Amino acid sequence: MSTPDDHRISYLSGEPVDALTPRERAELDELRTLLESPATWEEPDPGLEDLVVSAIAAEAQRATAAEPAPQKTKKAPIWTRWRPRRPAIAFGGFATAAAAIAVALVIALGSGGGTQPLQFAMVVSGTSLAPDAHGNATLTKTESGWRIELSATGLPHLANGRYYQAWLKNAAGILVPVGTFNDAENVTLWSGAPVTQFRAFSVTEQLANGNPVSSGRRVLVGVAHPVH
Amino acid sequence: MQEGDLRARFRQGDPDAVRSVYRSHGRLVYAVAYKVLGDRGLAEEAVQQTFVKAWRAAQSFDESRELGPWLAAIARRVAIDLYRREAIRAADPIESVPVGAPALVAAPQSAEAIYDVWEVRQAVDQLPPDEQEVVRLQHLDGFTHTQIAERLGVAVGTVKSRSFRAHKRLATMLGHLRE
Repeated sequence: MSTPDDHRISYLSGEPVDALTPRERAELDELRTLLESPATWEEPDPGLEDLVVSAIAAEAQRATAAEPAPQKTKKAPIWTRWRPRRPAIAFGGFATAAAAIAVALVIALGSGGGTQPLQFAMVVSGTSLAPDAHGNATLTKTESGWRIELSATGLPHLANGRYYQAWLKNAAGILVPVGTFNDAENVTLWSGAPVTQFRAFSVTEQLANGNPVSSGRRVLVGVAHPVH
Repeated sequence: MQEGDLRARFRQGDPDAVRSVYRSHGRLVYAVAYKVLGDRGLAEEAVQQTFVKAWRAAQSFDESRELGPWLAAIARRVAIDLYRREAIRAADPIESVPVGAPALVAAPQSAEAIYDVWEVRQAVDQLPPDEQEVVRLQHLDGFTHTQIAERLGVAVGTVKSRSFRAHKRLATMLGHLRE
């Protein structure tokens, strides 16, 4: 003999059931709607774990680097701390600032106007395949495409049919190759895809075996953020 | 690893602890983010930001609270911020935006709706794989019991009994039925 619970379970599992009140149906329909939601079933990319670990490691590194030295007196506001105390130093400070402004003006004029190129930056971190790797990159928009200047340590030099390949990925998961190299210490890569949309950066280890797709062996990851 | 020890090591950015917290809660955080954003890439970005924010706020985390709901609350806020950022970025003329674009038709999810997704996802994750598959094919893919039986190469009666058992477990875990 069926119990009221059996009726509810049958309704939930898609059987036609008459013996339910409208309220019971509405309650179970809510659950069915949740079970039909892709959010209940979608799986994140397996590489997301490495990205999360790297992002936190980079934050921890940044926080440690930014930690101020202990001070006995109360910290003054930044504008006061930078104000020179003696006229000689004041003059020195002024001269330095003036020189910096002059250099900035020369650079600005030399580059053909005051507009700053669109620039992104990122901290890159090693994955579980290369836990000691870390570094940073700047990504600059130019007439020819996006120039990516990567500087990373902790990755071995690859040669003899093995090489590194860098990639950018957009929100839809589309991967774009942005260059290959042997050593990550000082590399310039180029992307024809806009970094404004392709912001997830990764480096994979590849074999020169005629297969151009990503090996999936990610050793370095990062996410580009605009430089303000 | 004990929960207290795990939290302490998570606060220090210990990769093993971060991995451990990600493995226990990452998919649930992703479900929350995906529910709000409806996009894989953005949901993954939200997951990263959620864990970074959680790490930054871990010092002030009340140890008497459960980690899960705390992460869910952070994930919801992060996802809504991303949702708004994307809505601002999509500055195309309104005529060029498709009628069904999420920015036009969907408001950010309520906290209750988000928490429901979290609960359902958690319950589904606890089902045995064969039952989970039947529930998925039935609800996400919209297959009938007969179609599922054909697809899995089992009898319709087997599908029905798996489905019944699975939904009974789900209903019990989610409190939609009296025991």
